[in-house]
This record gives sequence, C-alpha cells and structure tokens, in this order.
Amino acid sequence: MPSETVESRSGGKGIWILLGILTVVNLAVGLLFAPHQVELEHPPIVQLPNFLAFLGVPGEWMPPYLTFTWLVMGILVVMGVLGTRALRPVPGPLQNFVEVVIEGFGGLLDQMIGRQGRQFLPFIGTTGLFILTSNLLGNIPGFQPPTANLNTNVALALTVFIYYNYSGIRKHGLLNYLKHFCGPVLWLAPLMFPIEFIAHLARPVSLSIRLFGNMFGEEAVITILLALVWLVMPYFIWLGIMLPLSLFTAAVQTFIFIMLSMVYIAGAVEEGHGEEHH
Amino acid sequence: MPDEEPSLLRQLARLSTIGVTLVAATAIGLAIGYGLDRWLGTSPWLTLTFTLFGIAAGFINLFRDLGLIGRGQ
Repeated sequence: MPSETVESRSGGKGIWILLGILTVVNLAVGLLFAPHQVELEHPPIVQLPNFLAFLGVPGEWMPPYLTFTWLVMGILVVMGVLGTRALRPVPGPLQNFVEVVIEGFGGLLDQMIGRQGRQFLPFIGTTGLFILTSNLLGNIPGFQPPTANLNTNVALALTVFIYYNYSGIRKHGLLNYLKHFCGPVLWLAPLMFPIEFIAHLARPVSLSIRLFGNMFGEEAVITILLALVWLVMPYFIWLGIMLPLSLFTAAVQTFIFIMLSMVYIAGAVEEGHGEEHH
Repeated sequence: MPDEEPSLLRQLARLSTIGVTLVAATAIGLAIGYGLDRWLGTSPWLTLTFTLFGIAAGFINLFRDLGLIGRGQ
C-alpha cells in the first residue's frame, strides 16, 4: 500500500514538472528568436475594392465592417430562402432548424411582452440573428465581426430606439405616450420630463457601447495573443480559453441585446397607466 | 407580466445593464447641459443643472432596474 500511494503522488506531480520544463524551454527559444517588431494590424483575409468611392467612402478598400455586414446579410438571406423553400408538414432538417429559431424568439417575446408580443417577432428575430451571426463570424481567423465597430452597433441601437418609440406612439397616440414621461403627479412634470428624456436617451448609448466593448475587446485580446507567433503557448491559450469564451460571450451579448430591446418595447407598449408592480 | 422566477441568464442580462446606464445617463446629461450652455451662453449654470438631471435619471433607471420602484413613478 505505501508503494501505491508513492506512485500515484509522483505521477500527479510529474505532469506539472513536465509543463514547467516545457514553458521554460518555450520562453527561452522564443526570446532567442524573437522578431524585433510585433505586427498588430492585420487586414482581414477578404477585402473588396472600394466601388462606392463616388458616394464618399474613403480609402482604397471597402471598410472591413461593411464587407462583413454584407457577408452576414448574405448568410441570413440564404438561410431564410433555403429554409422556407419547400415547406412540408413533417419538416426536413433546415426547415426544422428555422422553426426552432422562430419558436425560440416567439417564446421569449410572449414571456416579455405578453399577448401582443408576436407582432414584434420580425424585428427582434432579425436583430438577434444579425448580432449572433456577426459575433460568431469573428471567431474564424481572418474575419472581423462587424459588431466590433462602433458604427454597426450605433446603427442597431438607434434602430431599436426609434422602433420602440414608434411602437409606443402608434399604440397610445402621441399625447398619451408623452404623458408617460411625466411621472406620477402632474405638477412634478417640469422636473420629471428632462429626467425621463435623459433616461430614455441613455438606453441606446448603453446598448451600443456594451456590444461594442465586448466584441472589440475580445478581438483586441486575440490579436495580441496571436501576434506573439513565435511562442507556441498563445495558440493553446487561444484554442483552450479565448475561443470558448468568445463563443459564449457572442451568445450572451446577443441575448442581452434582444432582451433589453424587448423590455424597452414592453415598457412603451404596455397598457394600463396606473399599475405599480411588475 | 412574467410571474416565474427568471432564469440565471435573464438575471445576468438585467444586472449587466445597470452600471453602464448610470454612467451613460450622467454623461448624456452633461453633454446636453454643455451643448445648451454653448448655444445660449449661460455657463456654467445649465451645465450643472443638466448634469444633476442626468445623475437623477441614472439613479431612477437604477432603482427601476433593481425592482425597487414600479413603472410610472
């Protein structure tokens, strides 16, 4: 019995000693052969020449976020067309997948907004699928996610802002909708109105900056990791830690974005002005 | 109105929005105050007033997100 415990103990420690030696050798070899300058700016693999220069787009190449936005649009359109082409009562695999996606969004909408949730399914579904595909596209080496750029995110957040205000105005009428901004008691209105106005303006700002910060930060970390090409360790860190983390935060950020959009739409569209607990 | 206990992911999503909204509301209030001051020339009073409005708006959003205040208050 003592020999067994001695063997298992030395077997457990052996792995760590081996890893330690590998790390030291790696660092030594790397520092001996390190290049003098680390290249951090890489253009993406696919680049379109700038054919919209007459509209004022600067530079010789199309900006990468625009190229990849078109790629994401192409993927979504192809998936939609292929999934709904030959509808059958017992669905094939692609149609099944599309139905699962639609039912998932529909369930979320019913939970958040209630009875009238389904009319917002096109908007929420498109936004969610666009953000999810864009975020996941960044994990392919050589591709940049279009949501890593502030322009895309501000466009998405402004669209959500305009859409939920428009839904609220269309449902309640302009005067009634503005009355929501005035707080509980009428004589507090000059105080409450700017406060509510600023609070509503803070929503698209926070939406866009949150998504931008997450996606751009991941991309920056992965760029720096993979620029250390002469050390082998960063590849394992990328594959083992950053890649799963990146897939996870892609899904979580999508979920946060569409959930907050649904909360804003629900807040604008709900009826019954005097209810006080949610 | 959802009555069940929200899932972990949903609670994570709701909590992650609190910090950014507080800062964003303060910054927007400051920006509006500064812009109005430059347009009307009454510095620094409008800047201060709108910054305070922005902070108040941030806190109102904070309380609403935490569930301490209902909807129309």
